[in-house]
Amino acid sequence: MTDIVAQPAENSPDEILAATRGRHLVIGEVVGLYVLSIAAALVLAGLLVAVTGGSAADVFNALLDGSVRNPGRWGLTLGAAAPLLLVALGTIVNSRAGLVNIGQEGQLLIGAAFATYVGVRLPGPGPIVVVALCGAGIVGGALWAGIAGGLRYWRGVPEVLSTLLMVIIAAQAVGYGLKNEGLLLSAAGNRANRNQVSEQLASDTRIPRLTWFGNEFPTTVFLAIALAALVAFALARTIPGFRLRMLGQNPRTAQRAGVGATRYGMGSMLISGGFAGLAGATMLAGGDFGNYQLVPGFSTNIGWTGLLVALVARERAVAAIAVAFTFAGLRTGSGFLAATGVERKITDVVQALLVLALLIPPAVLYIRERRRALNAAKERV
Amino acid sequence: MQTPGPAAVELVDITKRFGRVVACDGVDLALQRGRIHGILGENGAGKSTLMKVLIGLVHPDRGEVIIDGQSVTITDPIDAAGKGIGMVHQHFSVVDALTVWENIALGDVGRLDPAAVRDRVGDLSRHYGLAIEPDARVGDLPAGMRQRVEILKCLRRDPHVVVFDEPTSVLTPAESEQLFDALRRVVDEEGRAVALVSHKLEEIRHATDTITIMRQGSVVERIATADSDAASLARAMVGRWVSLRTERAALGLGIEEAATVDDDVDDEPADARDVLELVGVSARGGDGRVLLDDLSFEVRAGEILGVAGVEGNGQRELGDLLSSLAPISAGEVRVDGRPVRCGVAGAMSRAGIAVVPEDRHDSGCVLEMTVAENLFLAEPERIAPRGVIDRRRMNDAAIELIERFAISCEGPDSPLWSLSGGNQQRVVLARELSHEPKVLIAAQPTRGLDVGAIEYMSDQLRLAAETGVAVLLISTELEEILDLADRIVVLSRGRVAGEMTRRDLDLERLGLLMGGADVSELAP
Repeated sequence: MTDIVAQPAENSPDEILAATRGRHLVIGEVVGLYVLSIAAALVLAGLLVAVTGGSAADVFNALLDGSVRNPGRWGLTLGAAAPLLLVALGTIVNSRAGLVNIGQEGQLLIGAAFATYVGVRLPGPGPIVVVALCGAGIVGGALWAGIAGGLRYWRGVPEVLSTLLMVIIAAQAVGYGLKNEGLLLSAAGNRANRNQVSEQLASDTRIPRLTWFGNEFPTTVFLAIALAALVAFALARTIPGFRLRMLGQNPRTAQRAGVGATRYGMGSMLISGGFAGLAGATMLAGGDFGNYQLVPGFSTNIGWTGLLVALVARERAVAAIAVAFTFAGLRTGSGFLAATGVERKITDVVQALLVLALLIPPAVLYIRERRRALNAAKERV
Repeated sequence: MQTPGPAAVELVDITKRFGRVVACDGVDLALQRGRIHGILGENGAGKSTLMKVLIGLVHPDRGEVIIDGQSVTITDPIDAAGKGIGMVHQHFSVVDALTVWENIALGDVGRLDPAAVRDRVGDLSRHYGLAIEPDARVGDLPAGMRQRVEILKCLRRDPHVVVFDEPTSVLTPAESEQLFDALRRVVDEEGRAVALVSHKLEEIRHATDTITIMRQGSVVERIATADSDAASLARAMVGRWVSLRTERAALGLGIEEAATVDDDVDDEPADARDVLELVGVSARGGDGRVLLDDLSFEVRAGEILGVAGVEGNGQRELGDLLSSLAPISAGEVRVDGRPVRCGVAGAMSRAGIAVVPEDRHDSGCVLEMTVAENLFLAEPERIAPRGVIDRRRMNDAAIELIERFAISCEGPDSPLWSLSGGNQQRVVLARELSHEPKVLIAAQPTRGLDVGAIEYMSDQLRLAAETGVAVLLISTELEEILDLADRIVVLSRGRVAGEMTRRDLDLERLGLLMGGADVSELAP
């Protein structure tokens, strides 16, 4: 009976060939879009520098010197890149599950606070304390994100709002902890004139640092890279990762297929907060931030920037490694700008321009893809 | 037949492309005053696109719209209304929370005079024989009544041209009959022009004066209804002779015929056991509305149970319930005698209930994932020994299913959105059947598919039943139910209004049951 049934058109070899050719064209287009968009951002940044009375070349050189070229600088950049990457990895996990967590800054701070508490009080051999304080950081961050997750799944509060608002609460809570010797505040004898500072981690409870070619950096860098590989693999190839992606793309289909939104969504929030908390703990015990002590404002925008890293890496863990290094470079490089006479804040603008430049091509592609899908859908109506 | 009046509106050489596909290719169409013009074609033949050009929802690449001899540009539906063209859409755009007259007054400008609007609604409904209570809340009305609101809304603007897009899909047979009577009045007494868009042959033949048949974006035939016969119309529409029972049913070619081919139906084996049982199931919506009301039925191994009914009487909720998507407030669902928890992720699927959902994009597949991933959504364990997905095993297993179910795609790695609707449906079907289910739920399984795909789907449902699966077919297309089901229950206001087997099928009773509590209202 098949001879009279209107079969859907099979793809002829010609058509398949045409489709493949189309794909090459698309790759060319993608590269072109990125080049164009980054070039535009750099030109804009250059203009901005020129307007403020500086020289674009000087600024560019200063940024390069400060981030990688000068002795010891790329070690610093690596030290900043590691927590950025950790935060980004967590963000990737919850984004893939379809949740929007934008409170990493607070989760990171709480993680650092938990790590401080455990790190300065737990007796025992150094390595065990280091592991314990990292664990405490994970628990703290996960707890903070978990509150937002719980509000979302049991009370219907949008997690975009709750995670954001809890950043403010986190800062207040840590501030309170840093006023009480029973909590985080260092004993009076150890803090000279400074008011709000925690006890310093003992030298044997710090994360080991390496020195390569005169560049010193914490071993957290390797941990972060290993975790990036792990997250990439878990999302692409394991059953829980598969289910998370399913949940993110189509919650109703996922529910039917046995992926409960509460269980998996909550899980992704806990993982996400855990990564931010771990970033906080490793910042504390790694040495690049705050001299092994917790101070108010300890998180110094690492949470926000890590969010941007995930955004620019388009939720791909491996791509996030390179993006994290780039953004860390802008951070460390900006320290060298003073000599050029250009306001240090210019790097924030450059960073924003770069983020925009890196986000525009995917947006353009997304819109075109949607339009194609829409047309494909219209064809069928 | 009447003498042709002057054309109220003319479409000349309309061409519209969507990407590489030509939806309308140089189509000419003239709608005459005082006539009902049927526009017949399969899904995707271009009839909807053509009508959207007429009311300004789609702007043609080429061609012109001529009203009273003048070429005009119709920018949007409001512009179209101003030029005297109105459309009653297949999907309603009414506000549930408002009353009938309020809905009809929506969009008016200037001062609101409730009394005047109410009177006018009363006048109109009497005039056209479309009885309706102006003060009823639209959310409480059944689909047939909601459509009347749409029609009155459209007629109140006194249009010269009225387009009806698949108007009977939400109506009982008796309601359809009343609608066509009203249309006749609109045309005969007031000289308006009516376009009736449908893929159902029988109603086009029954209700129109002239017929234009479209296929693949072009007009293939124009014929006076009186000179037409069903077989040649079907042939023109599909492009070949149609002989199979399923296809004829799909084309709406005679309910009577589908119902009478009955002798080849075997009696159910006496030992067929109940596989799926619903016992006193009730469910409420978030707003407290009763969606399912003490619903009880059972599906036996190897039978196809058809759930007939007018759209909006609990079909969607029943499908959601059996997809683990909705909880219940009372009752029990059992598979093989064992109760299944409702609303718990994956519980129905684990109990052996496979579902081809009403809207596959909503709960049947993940468009952004690949074909292979979509084939293993529910049981990734089968391609992931020790929790890690084995790419090779996944691709091999996917290719096997792609071949077995003749899914047309570039390969297991192509994203699902790149497939046509019919092939996406096959992916869903392949996945659900590959789990060796005990129960197969097919909710409106052929909606939006072309004739070939409908045929395939029907064959698969029969095949599943033959291999001992309990099949539940939820459909608002009565022809489809009559063609496939061994036994029929009628769903009305969330409960079983009645049941009959194929042996003692009574079409009139079936129609009345589908009308549910509206039977009294239907009487003129």
